[in-house]
Amino acid sequence: MILLQSHSRFLLQTLLNRIQNSCMYLMFERHVGNSSRVSLEKCIELDHHWVEFDDVRYHVQVSMKNPHILLLSLSLPTPPLETVFVGGLPFGAIEAIKAAYGVIVQILDPPRDGFNLTLKLNLSKLPQDEDQRHTLLVKIASVREVVLGAPLRVILKHLASRTVAPDIDQFVALVHRPNESFFLVPQAEKVTVVFPMRFKDSIDTVLATSFLQEFMESRRTAGLSNAPPCLWSQTPPLELKGVTDDALSANAGFVTFVILPRHVEGRKLDRTVWNLSTFHAYVNYHVKCSEGFMHSRMRRRVESLIQALNCAKPDQEKTKKTPQTRSFKRLNLKDSRTNSSSS
Amino acid sequence: MDPTSRPAVVIDNGTGYTKMGFAGNVEPCFIQPTVVAVNESFLNQSRTSSKSNWSAQYSAGVMADLDFFIGDEALTKSRSSNAYNLTYPIRNGQVYNWDAMERYWQQCIFNYLRCDPEDHYFLLTESPLTAPENREYTGEIMFETFNVPGLYIAVNSVLALAAGYTTSKCQMTGVVVDVGDGATHIVPVADGYVIGSSIKSIPIAGKDVTLFIQQLMRERGEKIPPEDSFEAARKVKEMYCYTCSDVVKEFNKHDKEPGKYIKHWRGIRPKTGAPYSCDIGYERFLGPEVFFSPEIYSSDFTTPLPVVIDKCIQSAPIDTRRALYKNIVLSGGSTMFKDFHRRLQRDLKKIVDARVLASDTRLGGEVKAHPVEVNVVSHPIQRFAVWFGGSVLASTPEFFGACHTKAEYEEYGASICRTNPVFKGMY
Repeated sequence: MILLQSHSRFLLQTLLNRIQNSCMYLMFERHVGNSSRVSLEKCIELDHHWVEFDDVRYHVQVSMKNPHILLLSLSLPTPPLETVFVGGLPFGAIEAIKAAYGVIVQILDPPRDGFNLTLKLNLSKLPQDEDQRHTLLVKIASVREVVLGAPLRVILKHLASRTVAPDIDQFVALVHRPNESFFLVPQAEKVTVVFPMRFKDSIDTVLATSFLQEFMESRRTAGLSNAPPCLWSQTPPLELKGVTDDALSANAGFVTFVILPRHVEGRKLDRTVWNLSTFHAYVNYHVKCSEGFMHSRMRRRVESLIQALNCAKPDQEKTKKTPQTRSFKRLNLKDSRTNSSSS
Repeated sequence: MDPTSRPAVVIDNGTGYTKMGFAGNVEPCFIQPTVVAVNESFLNQSRTSSKSNWSAQYSAGVMADLDFFIGDEALTKSRSSNAYNLTYPIRNGQVYNWDAMERYWQQCIFNYLRCDPEDHYFLLTESPLTAPENREYTGEIMFETFNVPGLYIAVNSVLALAAGYTTSKCQMTGVVVDVGDGATHIVPVADGYVIGSSIKSIPIAGKDVTLFIQQLMRERGEKIPPEDSFEAARKVKEMYCYTCSDVVKEFNKHDKEPGKYIKHWRGIRPKTGAPYSCDIGYERFLGPEVFFSPEIYSSDFTTPLPVVIDKCIQSAPIDTRRALYKNIVLSGGSTMFKDFHRRLQRDLKKIVDARVLASDTRLGGEVKAHPVEVNVVSHPIQRFAVWFGGSVLASTPEFFGACHTKAEYEEYGASICRTNPVFKGMY
């Protein structure tokens, strides 16, 4: 796996299971009648919560009474001061949800306690066509992309039509991690995206710094000339003049991408939005992978060194291990005396 | 934000399947086979070819360490292409290949659970016979590679006991009969502490049941393609096997009403895609019978499971024995056969009653022994009882205090992972 997928694997699995079960349930009901109803409904109950990277929490609930209604709650990372949140959600999120899911999803107000958003999914309204249904379910499983990526999507859409949204400041801050944000400088011809990179661990910081430098270098190779221009610097870039110092304290430098209209044309938009909004998680993942890779190299080295050491051992020890000497150890007088004195 | 405010990640790595999820839930998020498919075509190539296209090899090598799959994906990948080799990182309950294990964990965390390991405490499991060095290795990987804020390595049998925690009264004394895919352990636990000297192991586990079924079907001449026969036997085991009370009676039943007892299995040949079918007869009850009369399977080991459990309890300290007989907990996928716990309870009761009777006659009726209560507990979540126990324990507030933290690791080194204290939430 090189890129993170936009859908939550567990959510998709749960949804698919549910559809399968409810289909079986309907068939069962037709064949057997109501007698087996209780036992089947029992196995359909569900209450699960889990957490994804960057502190996005999910909660899924299905009650026994309405097995085709699924409540999906989502909690977002705590926004820092500079970002704009409307009613607990990033701007444009409600519209994005409505546009993406249509009739099968209803937004509950107020959301469940401790969550930013609760969706009510009506599974009986899913399309009958197998492929359509699957794409819709994948879309529901990537609810995180829809909600957190909504403001980014609005800005990039304007870029695709080469305009700037009217009511937008010189730069926009968007939350991507708890109490951390990244910055956008929207212009008609390009959008500049700046990520302050922060890592907790000192080793991670070093690895990430060199990873990002390498990242910038590889952008220059011939095959990647169409990719967005990418810059890394230790100090905040000039575009971010006027941002508070707090938001600009980054121990692994700043990464700047310049997104051009050709990067957000048509179907590319979704991928660009996802990759940008999870850039930090992507770097973090690869830092961990390279640490793992280094460890396996180190382990291999230790093994080879141990092998070399074992080869260097004198032959005496080897002969001791032959079966005859192991079971009948012949003691001479001197040995037995030392043995008894030691015990 | 503090990692203790988020649910801990609970990963139970078994020989056959890995169960992973977040603490506080009833079920694990994923149950996946513990297998890694690594693309080694690049590695072999690099040895033979010359230095000329070094940079191409270099970039391919950089990506090669990410070119692997785990779980079901690994199985499908290895079937569809020859480039991938399957590695099973755990054998007989012990981690065998640490490189593969590290990769497996990496994918569990980043691809399946999709969490940031720095945000969560981790609860991992190990078999009671794991060497302390292995615990150190685990700690090293978890703290160095994944930077986890805290780690607790629990003994899986203690967790299996803790799984009974919610269903009945909380009791941390009992015998755990853990029959997994690769290892069978009988572990007495008193007040949350494993009685290490009385642990018994049996060389018969789930895999042997599968092998036995495969052998039976082959000997009867069922037409199963050899390359698929192990998988087919495994499926047959999981879907049709049950425990009988008496083998002879069961043979009679099958012979009288073959229509009722003989099942059919339909499969697809993996190479050609052509369908095939076969009958399933006596192996339905003979498979699980391996545990009760092992002489039908191998001549090396012939002590039945109930006898081993009895020996295990008899070797435990005398003041714990009654409590141990009272709470015998099953865990692991291979205890899922229908009526397994009934048969076990009956056989064990027989042994115990015979002993009580013998002592009564020896004493000549002067002193009557208290009858010994034998109780085999089974619950519907046996397949992931260990995971569930971990989920329960990791959601108690005491859990975070019992964990080894990253700061402690940096101060004292990996040796802190050798011991993992029993904590208050356990009893």
